[in-house]
Amino acid sequence: MTAEKRTKFQIYFDILEALSDELRNDSMLQPTKVAHRVNLPYDRFRSYLDYLMQVGMVSSKPDGGLAVTEKGVEYLKEHGRHRDFLRLMGLLS
Amino acid sequence: MIREALVLSEFVSAGLALVLVYFLFKAYGFTRSTSLLGLPIGFSYLASSYVFLALYILFEENAVFSSSLLWLRLITQSFGFAFIAFSYYFSAKTDRPVRQLLMVISAASVLSILVFFVALLVTPPFLVLPSAHVAGNYSRVLNLVFLGYVVYYLVARLRSRDRDFSDLVSAPISFSVLWLAQYSMFIWGIDGSGTAFILAHVARLASLILFIVVYCSSGRVRG
Repeated sequence: MTAEKRTKFQIYFDILEALSDELRNDSMLQPTKVAHRVNLPYDRFRSYLDYLMQVGMVSSKPDGGLAVTEKGVEYLKEHGRHRDFLRLMGLLS
Repeated sequence: MIREALVLSEFVSAGLALVLVYFLFKAYGFTRSTSLLGLPIGFSYLASSYVFLALYILFEENAVFSSSLLWLRLITQSFGFAFIAFSYYFSAKTDRPVRQLLMVISAASVLSILVFFVALLVTPPFLVLPSAHVAGNYSRVLNLVFLGYVVYYLVARLRSRDRDFSDLVSAPISFSVLWLAQYSMFIWGIDGSGTAFILAHVARLASLILFIVVYCSSGRVRG
């Protein structure tokens, strides 16, 4: 059985979730580590990250690090809730 | 009094189905997984079928118009259950072919309903289809098959899990109650039983409420 192809929105969710998790453990996280964690080549990860920064879900800190903004946290919550709804409906594993 | 209660029951069902459609489209907006689109489309058809039945009850005196409304109710209801069943069938498949297929089926179903409605209104009386009341029971059998597939799919999915699945039983229960509503309508269609008729309406409302409860309970932290 082949793995399910992720939608663009699922990738945004995965990146935000990974960033959020990594930031909890390490305030100076490495983008390459996050790219590896979400299973994306670095150049593709970078383009998704740029988009997330453009829409204000991720911001860069003065020290060069990354931070998930309040908008990003809200998106994470809502996305998680709707994925859970679809899981309860038996449409997602 | 009974007539008013029936109209109210249909409009309340349509309202509940539309609330569910809103939640399902919202969920689609977050995931954009095309295979999931069958569910909001299916419940939209179900909502329209409830409205058609309410209109049929309201305009029963106008024979031609009310007969067309009853046919529309039967067709939209079966399309609704078919889309819901397709959504479950395609939920494990890849995205792209499903997207195209769903778009084609959606467009074709809307077009066929419009053509059918116009044809019913302009067709001379001697060419009309058999009574919608007679066709009703055949369509209910079809609906039972579609809903039976969904219940079977969900139960099989539960049985394949090793872990605790207590939080996942709500969807199969809701669809089983919806199946019971159709089955009760089928029984009513055969013997005209008042109990079956009332049970059908109560079960349908209960299942729609259960789906909304599933949405409201989603996202909670599970132990």
